Amino acid sequence: MKRLLATTAIATLFAMPALAVEITVGASNIAPYLDPGRDHSNVGSQFYYNSFDTLIAKNLDSDKTEWLPGLAVSWELVEPTVMELKLREGVKFHNGEDLTADDVVFSLNRMYQATFPPYQVRARDRLENFAKAEKIDDHTVRIHAKREEPLWETLLNLQQVMIIPEEYTKALAGDPKVAEDDDYEAFSLKPVGTGPYKIATFSPGEQVVYERFDDFWGDKAPLDRVTVKRMPETASRITALKTGEADIITNVAPDQLSLIDGDANLKTVGAATALFHVMIMNVNHPKLKDPRIRQAMSLAIDRDTLNEALWLGKAIVPASHTMQEFGELHMPELTTFEYNPERAKELLKEAGYDGFEITFDTDAVYYTNGLLAAQAIMEMWAEVGIKGKVQVGEKWTGNSPELMARNWSNPMYFADPFGSFGVMWAPNGPSESEGRFNTDEAYAKAWERFRFSKDVAERRAAYGELMERIQADPPVLPLYRPFESWAMRKDINWAPKPGNIPYVLDFRAGSISFASN
Amino acid sequence: MLTYLARTILKMLVTFFVIVTLVFFATRLSGSPIDFVIGEGITQEDRALLTSYYGLDQSTWVQYRAFLASFADGQFGLSFVERRPVAEIVGERIWPSLQLLLSSVVLTLALSLPLGILGAVYRKSWIGSAVMVIAFVGYAVPNFVLATLMILIFSYWLNWLPVVGNGTPWHFIMPTITMSGILIAGLTRFTRNAMLDVLGQDYMRTARAKGLSEQTVIFKHGLRNASITILSVIGLQIAGLAAAGSVVVEAIFAWPGIGDLLVRSAIVRDYPVLQFGVIAVSVAVLFINAAVDIAYAYADPRIRLGRA
Repeated sequence: MKRLLATTAIATLFAMPALAVEITVGASNIAPYLDPGRDHSNVGSQFYYNSFDTLIAKNLDSDKTEWLPGLAVSWELVEPTVMELKLREGVKFHNGEDLTADDVVFSLNRMYQATFPPYQVRARDRLENFAKAEKIDDHTVRIHAKREEPLWETLLNLQQVMIIPEEYTKALAGDPKVAEDDDYEAFSLKPVGTGPYKIATFSPGEQVVYERFDDFWGDKAPLDRVTVKRMPETASRITALKTGEADIITNVAPDQLSLIDGDANLKTVGAATALFHVMIMNVNHPKLKDPRIRQAMSLAIDRDTLNEALWLGKAIVPASHTMQEFGELHMPELTTFEYNPERAKELLKEAGYDGFEITFDTDAVYYTNGLLAAQAIMEMWAEVGIKGKVQVGEKWTGNSPELMARNWSNPMYFADPFGSFGVMWAPNGPSESEGRFNTDEAYAKAWERFRFSKDVAERRAAYGELMERIQADPPVLPLYRPFESWAMRKDINWAPKPGNIPYVLDFRAGSISFASN
Repeated sequence: MLTYLARTILKMLVTFFVIVTLVFFATRLSGSPIDFVIGEGITQEDRALLTSYYGLDQSTWVQYRAFLASFADGQFGLSFVERRPVAEIVGERIWPSLQLLLSSVVLTLALSLPLGILGAVYRKSWIGSAVMVIAFVGYAVPNFVLATLMILIFSYWLNWLPVVGNGTPWHFIMPTITMSGILIAGLTRFTRNAMLDVLGQDYMRTARAKGLSEQTVIFKHGLRNASITILSVIGLQIAGLAAAGSVVVEAIFAWPGIGDLLVRSAIVRDYPVLQFGVIAVSVAVLFINAAVDIAYAYADPRIRLGRA
């Protein structure tokens, strides 16, 4: 009996931390505003999942696609272009209001029929096919697409269509009955959602404090309080972890990993981020019009060596613009991009390259290893006879007619090639509109089949065609998926989930736990 | 004295106007904030839409006038990124910066005046040499190196001191030392030299000859006369510290002050915040300079009376 008591006492002691747990996260950046609708930045993505829900959720433990009920418990197509969703009952917002169909219709239409410029911009590339949402009854809504939509679930699982409260938002500024631009601006400083954590304090750019939301409809949050604090300097961030000022830190550079892993109390976790660092090339630059020159620029780059040297071999070098996360659309069999310096030399000769200088623009610090990669690429170009020059600058030059080549990143905004390649390289998309990429009728046709076909095999075939076009007249070379690391106390079990978009700090039930020793 | 005050204030106003104008145009040279407000991958049409939403499609002259007008309501416009009044954003950060500045000035004065005097009085003994060595080393080590070294020793290895934020008095130790390091070195050397100058003066010999105690000679006759030179240097140094030192120190220690804000808003090109942040620091510098001018005049009647 005595022994049992003792065991119970010890067990209780160990269980204690799980009862009242607070952690501090040291992040290299904190979002300056928090509105899931207008945001798709890497910095912002860290924060939304803890506090907001989508209608349709996703099994994040797998990189295979499995849709789960979210704020909607069921959904079905009632017409080829109309989806009807039954909403979960008893869902509360952090401010105590009940979630109804009105909130859902408001949240969706603020994007589908956007009038607020930041929403318009964000909706254009991914929500263009949705006409409107309408209320059927208090817990039923219908969403109308303009054309048949093969990606219904994917596009209802986006951060941009997370649900926010209607009355609360409208009352934030001006007329409490009308949604004005200022309401949305105010919302982004006082965000309210339905997720397991409410945002208790938000100091823009400084810190986000989450507190457990006890009325959450699903599994309760495992932590009472999470403080995510800005710690911009890598050395300070790592030291803060060591001194106990932070329990988890983000954005640990590859060369710091061994330092942390060598500490008995700390550990690191990492993953190749669902994002490509890319080199873009201006197909319309007078000197680069011949695709053979751009093919050579691409073929000359030994991306595996870049990976070994800059990322300790932990990044992923893709053979095509494809990722495992794309599920059925993952196409590792394509060889769109490769290293072949001999072929590069031949192409340069055929194209009559006369040794003119090719500039490569990069910011000094914006991308981890960006400048180093640019310098290494110059060496690799020199090997095949291309005279390259790195131009370091802070301006975005992607829309300049002078641009020859530069680095950029192409994130996976959602798990489909449409959410990665598609966002940047659609006909009339950002790249074409900036004047450094051209599409024609054939490309648009392939794009159509890729975007709207309901047959997966057809979509795959069409994506393959798009990749052939990219290979034949290259505007882009994905360099690698950078390896992103987090460091934490050894007793914390946390890692980014494979089904999530990059950078999400997910502290929902089942996402974080503590070892009991 | 009144004429002197009026002249000082007029000088401040003109300088202020020049700064405001320079800041407005300089911030616009770095590129468009749209790239950072929105992130990657937007079409030219959308870029135009946002440019107009943020009022950046207007002519520079219109923007400049709006910028000047924004001073009138005391809000200084809206941040592009946070969309709240700039005065509010900068206001939150003035106190932490001032706290750090004050603690640094106190530490500087507390150390460098006695060290400087010791260095001068004992210039021929090892004490004087030691003071000079400290001063030279202190001057040669850049503040970011000093900060990193201290973090390594006192936080990373010894785990004695916290490194991020301004939560407790312990948080002040390393940032304060980092901020004042160069200043202490500079001012110690300066105090020593000023004292040496004064110590060689005839009136010092007279004072001693009168039979005054060595303490009275050094502090009353020596320091009082040296203080005029020292004062002008302190003013300049503190002003420099407020402007430049805080940027580095606050970024390293994640100190929620103006310097840190300046770095952040420069990176995202949040013009309104950056402009007002630079202006706020400039105003602080102007005020410190003016205060020093006035204190200087008070200490030296030749200036006060305009007969210098």
